[in-house]
Amino acid sequence: QDNRVTGVVTSRTDATPIPGAIVTVKGSHHGTQTDADGKYSINVSPKDTLRISFIGYTAVEQVVGSSRTLNFALENNESKLQEVVVTALGISREKRSLGYAVQELKSKDIAEARETNVVNALTGKIAGVTVTSSQGSMGSSRIVIRGETSIAGYNQPLFIVDGIPLDNSQLGVGTGRDFANAIADLNSDDIESLNVLKGPNAAALYGSRAAGGVLVIKTKTGKGVKGYGVTVNSSATFENILVLPKYQNSYGQGSSGQFSYVDGKGGGINDGVDESWGPKMDGRLIPQFFSNGVAVPFVAHPDNVKDFYQTGYTLNNGVAVSGSNDKVDYRFSFNNTKQTGIMPNTGITRNSFAVNTTFHLAPKLTLSTYANYVKAGADNLPGIDGKRANSVTLQYTWFGRQVDTRLLRNYKNADGTDFNWNHSYYSNPYWIQYENTVGQARNRFFGNARLSYDVTDWLSANFRVGTDTYNDKRKYKVAYYTNGTPYGSYTEDNYVVTETNGEFTLNAKKKLNSDFTIDGLAGGNIRTNQYENNYQQAPKLAVKDVYTLNNSRDPVISTNVFTRLKVYSAFASATLSYKNWAFLSATARNDWSSTLPAGNNSYFYPSVNASVVLSDALHIQSNVLTNLKVRGGWAMVGKDTDPYQLVNTYPFSQPFGSYPMLTVNDKFLKKDLKPEITKATEFGVEAGFLKDRIHADVTYYSSSSYNQILLADVSATTGDLKKILNAGKINNHGVEVMLGGTPITTASGFRWDVNINYAKNISKVIELDKEGFLNDYVLGSSGNMQVLASKGKRYGALYGKAYKRNDKGEILVSASGAPIVADDKKVLGYYTPKWTGSINNNFSFKGFTVGFLIDTRQGGQIWSGTNYTGIYTGVLAASMPGRDEEHGGIPYYYANNNQQSAAVRLENHTAAAPNGETVYHDGIIFDGVTADGKKNEAILPAQRYYKAVYSSSLNESSVYSASFIKLREVRIGYALPLELAHKWGLQGVNLTVTGRNLFYIDKKVPNIDPETAFNTGNGQGLETLQIPTTRSIGVNLKVSF
Amino acid sequence: CSKELEKVNKNPNEAESAQPDYLLTNGIKTNVDTYWGTDASMETSLLYVQYWAKIQYTDPDKYIPAATSIQTIWNNFYAQGVEDFTTLIQLGDTLNNPNYKAVGIIMRSWIFQVLTDLYGDVPYSQTANIEKYLTPKYDNQRDIYLGLLAELKTAAGLINTSGDAIGGDVLYSGDMNKWKKFANSLRLRIALRIADQEFDAAKAVFDEIGADNTGLIASNSENAQLVYLASPNQNPVAKNRETRSDYRISKSVVDLLRAYNDPRLAVYGAVPKDTNTIVGITNGLPTDSASRLGFNKTSDVGAVFTATTAPGVIFNYAELLFIKAEAAQRGLLSGDAEDLYKQAITASFKQYNLSDAAATTYLAQASVAYDAANYRKSIGEQKWLALFGEGLEGFAEWRRLDYPVLKPAYAGVLDGKIPLRLTYPSAEQALNGANYREAVAHQGADQLVTRLWFDVR
Repeated sequence: QDNRVTGVVTSRTDATPIPGAIVTVKGSHHGTQTDADGKYSINVSPKDTLRISFIGYTAVEQVVGSSRTLNFALENNESKLQEVVVTALGISREKRSLGYAVQELKSKDIAEARETNVVNALTGKIAGVTVTSSQGSMGSSRIVIRGETSIAGYNQPLFIVDGIPLDNSQLGVGTGRDFANAIADLNSDDIESLNVLKGPNAAALYGSRAAGGVLVIKTKTGKGVKGYGVTVNSSATFENILVLPKYQNSYGQGSSGQFSYVDGKGGGINDGVDESWGPKMDGRLIPQFFSNGVAVPFVAHPDNVKDFYQTGYTLNNGVAVSGSNDKVDYRFSFNNTKQTGIMPNTGITRNSFAVNTTFHLAPKLTLSTYANYVKAGADNLPGIDGKRANSVTLQYTWFGRQVDTRLLRNYKNADGTDFNWNHSYYSNPYWIQYENTVGQARNRFFGNARLSYDVTDWLSANFRVGTDTYNDKRKYKVAYYTNGTPYGSYTEDNYVVTETNGEFTLNAKKKLNSDFTIDGLAGGNIRTNQYENNYQQAPKLAVKDVYTLNNSRDPVISTNVFTRLKVYSAFASATLSYKNWAFLSATARNDWSSTLPAGNNSYFYPSVNASVVLSDALHIQSNVLTNLKVRGGWAMVGKDTDPYQLVNTYPFSQPFGSYPMLTVNDKFLKKDLKPEITKATEFGVEAGFLKDRIHADVTYYSSSSYNQILLADVSATTGDLKKILNAGKINNHGVEVMLGGTPITTASGFRWDVNINYAKNISKVIELDKEGFLNDYVLGSSGNMQVLASKGKRYGALYGKAYKRNDKGEILVSASGAPIVADDKKVLGYYTPKWTGSINNNFSFKGFTVGFLIDTRQGGQIWSGTNYTGIYTGVLAASMPGRDEEHGGIPYYYANNNQQSAAVRLENHTAAAPNGETVYHDGIIFDGVTADGKKNEAILPAQRYYKAVYSSSLNESSVYSASFIKLREVRIGYALPLELAHKWGLQGVNLTVTGRNLFYIDKKVPNIDPETAFNTGNGQGLETLQIPTTRSIGVNLKVSF
Repeated sequence: CSKELEKVNKNPNEAESAQPDYLLTNGIKTNVDTYWGTDASMETSLLYVQYWAKIQYTDPDKYIPAATSIQTIWNNFYAQGVEDFTTLIQLGDTLNNPNYKAVGIIMRSWIFQVLTDLYGDVPYSQTANIEKYLTPKYDNQRDIYLGLLAELKTAAGLINTSGDAIGGDVLYSGDMNKWKKFANSLRLRIALRIADQEFDAAKAVFDEIGADNTGLIASNSENAQLVYLASPNQNPVAKNRETRSDYRISKSVVDLLRAYNDPRLAVYGAVPKDTNTIVGITNGLPTDSASRLGFNKTSDVGAVFTATTAPGVIFNYAELLFIKAEAAQRGLLSGDAEDLYKQAITASFKQYNLSDAAATTYLAQASVAYDAANYRKSIGEQKWLALFGEGLEGFAEWRRLDYPVLKPAYAGVLDGKIPLRLTYPSAEQALNGANYREAVAHQGADQLVTRLWFDVR
């Protein structure tokens, strides 16, 4: 009599179910597979022995006996070399056969981070990957693998989702909001695996866009799910401020110790001044902005900035239904994310729907479809860029420290104007948040359909079409009476972006004889991209509070841009394997791009790589050295450019009355552009020790990118501001080390896993233009500070105004005692780090897991606008030393109280001046020397001292080391024992608590987060007026039925 | 396939060829904007020459110019000015319309004159030819002025009043005769500018065209000026005043106008809200002392300058008469210097719709009588007053004539000196470094107080 036995197969490491595990009755052909939840069901007799096996795990056997339920926890024994990874063009291959480094993350590694922008989830988890997020937790993030290979171009990797490129543009840079990069649309819960192809060697087959590496994402399917299964995922994440500047709480608004409020724009004493060099906040009586001319106590509100921010939170709810049978498998998922930011009235929402199906239409014919619809948007996003109509961090860095921001919450006066502490430049910060909003609405569809036909048992034909299309509409409102924009304004900025790919491939895999197998593909691709931007602005509203383009006093300003490009490609690749321990692969691709001129628009690029599993080849059977593989390869990829870079044109401007106007383009284009080329070499060794308890993967790589297409800044005296060059050359080389191990594993089920990543990249700019005129290429700038790619130097030089020094390196001071700024600018640092690393620990016991991730970036500098501005304005605590007796100020007086004369030092703070002159206590002496080499003794009042040292005309004082060590992530998980879950009719219950960006173990730059930048462009290493970054703690509950 | 790719890459957003009339409008508008705009005028020259002063954010008034201001002036004049007019000159040749060519040369010469007045040695001969010169060399100021004199002569000669008309001319409505007068007047301006260094060259210019009044600007109706329109094409000063209140009329100009009982005081200054007299403020006050003066107790500049449709003047009739007066005084031109001086002041009065009677009364004062023995003072002070608002030309002439005597900004950072030029934009160091360094070696340190070639004293 047969019995039905059911059970669940899980991994002993982390108690997660193992889908697709093979369940067989020993000695028979009878068997089944576990479903997506690791569940199986099989008819057996009590004397049968069940064998449970799965790649990467030690198989277990058990006699059935009288049990109706048999659960198995498999021990992971996978040799790293047996892991199957998804490589270029979606080809699954065992790691042993690869001639280049890849690194993979599983769904869990990504989803557990619960980041709304998937790029952030990769931080610290992959060797050689650097992630920088621009502003706050809902903005953009930049990801770069193995350093910058393009001097001026896009340096981020290509994202491929189920075989189709997914756009990751950041649109609307410089508009005062940090709009998320487009990959943030992707729902992390839909990701099954993410493979990082780190360089051209791995990614050559993708061609043009692969120079920065590729992230190959595979989404979850319903494959292997018997019947159907439902998974519900729900999480709540809370965030608060990780780094807020340290403010001083001794002195309030004003200048030279004076302040009295009348109208907030200069009508009183210094009441238009937006700095905190005013009177001591000791309770003295002074008329203030809320007191209607009455003198009231002038006191500190130490938390006035903190009070403005709130706790942010993200609610994430998703459901997925999946199932399969002989004919079809499917997965449908819905996810809703709602994030409320730390700044009042900011937030984003995102709804995504995904359907993934495979139809086995006929024995040899399969149709797969994947469709994803995302509707994302925001009612308001936080303002950046220091624009006074929308940036509150601007006015908190130029601030009166006595201001009680709670009084500002009722921001509107009866007459419709704003109630604020300052009216010379700013509007009330709550007014900015609630009135001057920017809304965003995105609709995105991406997906593909793939038809696959097995021509013979060794040859299949595949045809796939895919598209990624979205429109993104932004509405910018600036209210009437906003300072600087008295009539307000209304802007609509609308983007439509589409990429379509059609691809045909023939895939073959044939065993030639007992030793040789060949595996290859050949195919072609047609890609079209379209981009459209419509921008319209009513620059001054006719009537307040009505936001339409028609409601305009002045002619509506409008611009529109339409671009498109087309690329035809043909490609082939082949891998020859010998006895499954030696592999030789070659790829070749030719592209024809519309962006390049006839004659140069066809470019070919090959790659070749090899790997040998020495431990198999040499029959090394050792308990110490489990396996050993060496690999290496060479690759070349070509790259086209943006549309319309060949023929000079004349842009239109707004007409002057009835006179139309056009101008000569400020960019000088190039008729005979050639494609950019990157050549890359890499070598690596992978080894497993002690039955793979310890495994190591070391890679050395070098790349050289030349003929780079640069839109270089040129001297305006050429008549142009920019010129397209086709000569830039940059070299990169580096080392990556991945170390993994299981220091402890016990019979009782306790296990400790460690993963260590280390990466070092060295870049050098070799050439900018052929003629050698250009030594510097400007990547980004803020005031005098520039970020350069300078010939002969590391990429990303911070170039700015420095102290003037003598031969001994001492800083020279002027007669007044202020440091002298050198006429010539100099390199003050580099934003590119020397090395990055991380250590990830995971402990598991029964259903419990605890893990933490620490990562670091060492070397590299950042220029901080928040620091210099906040000290210049006397707002930051860093402006306190020397400001009074208590803080080490020097006592002094001016002879006859003539402030134009030099300050005279007094012995001590109680000494009187000889003729009864006023005695001051805020003297500071700058540590420098006079022209004749004597030590500086001239006293500067604190306000003048700090304004001289921390100013926009002296950058050196505000360049800091960007090194840090951060506790990036802590995870605590619990999986309900399956017996218990089943008792409740559930397939699994997992509860996780995740903390992200918890704290800095070490950082060098005060007051700001060193992992920040203006945007996702190449001009990194500049910080100014950043929105405070946040730490988050979230709880996630996953229930499967 | 290749054809298809080429078709895809045709830019649908911008014109592939330039229409000269559209280019001309743009060239005039954008460069007069720059000349009267925030960076070249309000934040720099108007303050240095003490026409205006700052009541808020006083750093620029203390001689700490913003790096962006310096860069913007340079970028605009070269990339929008020199480049656009060079293209117009080429179009004049290809379209066989010498009038466009002439106008292009005249406007470009004016821009170069402004650039060299402001910075000294600047790229001239190798500019706007990027295919040949990626890093143009800096020409000596002397060579630039002499080159401009030659170019302007050529331009005046090209003008054909009965030839093909030009369009898009928002300066002179296509009146080629007026363009010729403007060209000749510019030649006299430059000739006088170099007279302290190159007397003979200057004299040659005056000998050639100085005596023929029909070839020169002959009335205020012939002033070279752009009359601005309603927003968004309003005067740059008007645009600034829509949202900002950073500037006041300088005490220096108010004091001199008041000392001479000058009726232009009521034109140049506005009565503050809280008082009924015009109050100027001292240049270069510390932020707190400036703001303590009060927005409502100090004077902005007059409505004539802050009006939406206020003209952007680049050459007025009074200036021409002052040039002739000085030339007559110095033997560059025959004529009665004193008479020309009086005519010049009268022209200035008329420019601001003051009566002949007011001018007569004014001129009758001993304090404004022409002093041939110290013509630099008489002409310097009066020319300074007549050029009020036109910061760049006022700044150049003040440096050359050394009158009126100005006191440096109260909290100026130049050790008691007043700027004599602008520093080169810092981007030049990175982008045109070798030539930049050569220019600095030739001209002197790249500082605000470095004296330029034309500025002998």
